[in-house]
Amino acid sequence: MNTDTQINKRRDWREWQTYQAITPKTILFLLVAFVLLSWSGHNTEMDRAAVETSKAVLSAVGIGDSNVLNGVSKFGSQAFPIQFSARTELSRLEGVDLQHLPWFSYVEEGVSREYYVDTDSWTETKAEYLVEPVGYLKKVLWMMWETIEMGFWGTVISMMISLPLGILAARNYSPHPIVYQMARGLLSFHRSMPELIVALFLVLIYGFGPIAGVLALATHTSGVLGKFFADEIENAPKGPQMALSSAGANPLKVLRYAVFPHVLPAWIAYIQYIFERNIRTATVLGIVGAGGIGMELKGRWDLFDYSHVATILLIIFITVVVLEFFSQKLRNKTL
Amino acid sequence: MLIFDNVSRIYPDGTQAVKDVSVQLKQGEFCVLLGPSGAGKSTLMNMVNGLVEPTSGKIVLDGELLTKKNLQMIQRSISMIHQQLYLVPRLSVLHNVLTGILPLAGFWQCMVKSFPVKDQQRACELLSEVGLIEKHLMRRASELSGGQQQRVAIARAFMASPKVVLADEPVASLDPAMSRSVLNSLKEAAQTNGATVLCTLHQMDYALEFADRIIALRDGEVFFDGPPSDMDADLQRRLYEIEHENLETQHTPTVKPVKKPTQPHLVDIKEAVA
Repeated sequence: MNTDTQINKRRDWREWQTYQAITPKTILFLLVAFVLLSWSGHNTEMDRAAVETSKAVLSAVGIGDSNVLNGVSKFGSQAFPIQFSARTELSRLEGVDLQHLPWFSYVEEGVSREYYVDTDSWTETKAEYLVEPVGYLKKVLWMMWETIEMGFWGTVISMMISLPLGILAARNYSPHPIVYQMARGLLSFHRSMPELIVALFLVLIYGFGPIAGVLALATHTSGVLGKFFADEIENAPKGPQMALSSAGANPLKVLRYAVFPHVLPAWIAYIQYIFERNIRTATVLGIVGAGGIGMELKGRWDLFDYSHVATILLIIFITVVVLEFFSQKLRNKTL
Repeated sequence: MLIFDNVSRIYPDGTQAVKDVSVQLKQGEFCVLLGPSGAGKSTLMNMVNGLVEPTSGKIVLDGELLTKKNLQMIQRSISMIHQQLYLVPRLSVLHNVLTGILPLAGFWQCMVKSFPVKDQQRACELLSEVGLIEKHLMRRASELSGGQQQRVAIARAFMASPKVVLADEPVASLDPAMSRSVLNSLKEAAQTNGATVLCTLHQMDYALEFADRIIALRDGEVFFDGPPSDMDADLQRRLYEIEHENLETQHTPTVKPVKKPTQPHLVDIKEAVA
């Protein structure tokens, strides 16, 4: 009783504790943070990155020399002009009708160089080449289309996985707490496996090609999509659900009529985002042999065909921009 | 028809919300529940709906005793019109009305939203009865005005051909002219469908105008029970005045729903609402 009155005793306003922005504690915290950041930054070579980048900038304006800038200019000089045409030795092609060549293509005389290991020498022979002006561009576009298809099927399969899992992982519609925990666990397991690593394993299992890529995309994104679905179901307004269930409708019907109409716009937005993301990721998956444009990119990169690489990068860039544009339009329409 | 036999309800915190209420409602009666806030109106309604269990006494609907076991069966012959409507905003008006027969409709029919023409026509009939027109049919419920939404809720309540319709302050958020016409729709719909209506109201004049019978509750007890013509000015004054003196001792009970084992998700919803 005595202490209570002491605590509750009113103090004169001059003695009130005011707010202090900077205290010894803040200074200590900032100091520790600085030390940790410096250590971690050194580990990740952030200091070297700063030095090299500034050297590159200086060298670009004519002061000194920089490895980074040399690298950039080396790639640039080899990447341009961008390679759109395909040039194939005629003797390697079968069934080419010289009277009826494909549109705009022509035959060109050239020199074929061959390397002999035994004598360690190059021999040059005259050869004829078939040149298709946009042959390589066509090939890259076709591969890009394949990549988009991979992204599409990855999204479709991930929807098929995440829809039932999402419902089971929604606390208020899960049939049992154990099922709920299992569904949530499965979803976070899917989410926690990066596509590239899943794709590595799937390439081992299914071999090179888009199967591995599609399944890798589906596995990872079903975890993301399922969690979104479940959270949306949990956050749907309770009133209409109560109105229907207190009239005696079973949970699945309540889900269909009081929850789905509400969550549909958000779901469509999520699915769209995942689709877009899947296409972007699918371009990379080819690097581990899981199909799509990445396989061509990796192959050309290893052969130092930088002008071909430039074509691939250009097509990827254009695709992503166009995709973003259309999905933005679609989003404005659905919401 | 609907019989309350010595029904009482004491909440866990000791509040006696309803005390020995014995009332018999006749078929097709439009019965208005009056009374100050905290008089036990909502508790009485929720006991019919199965959301609250009576501590003692019996509730009999059409010769069947209301118990936990046959709750789901009985719920199908009871419809509720909520104060906040609880329509599904993004669903069309037609489908909002059709949700009234979800418990009876086939599972796959529901999943693909394909209802028999017979049911759809019934929905149209009900909608036109409450004064909506064809162009409203495919609109989203959220696009309608408050009064129109209330009419949709009424149509939904009558969709399952209920024996009893419980209306919890159906006109609380409407202006007087709209309130009157909505109550009119409700009464007409009840008459054409032969349903008993138990409707809580706060406005005495609407009660006098529309009710076949007024039941006034005060401190959980029946204060008045009879036709509106017997409700004289003195009674009206006393119904609300006495409560005024008790204001300090009165406490509002917190509604705790009965746990229903057959619908596990319902419990979560109730908790979230509370």
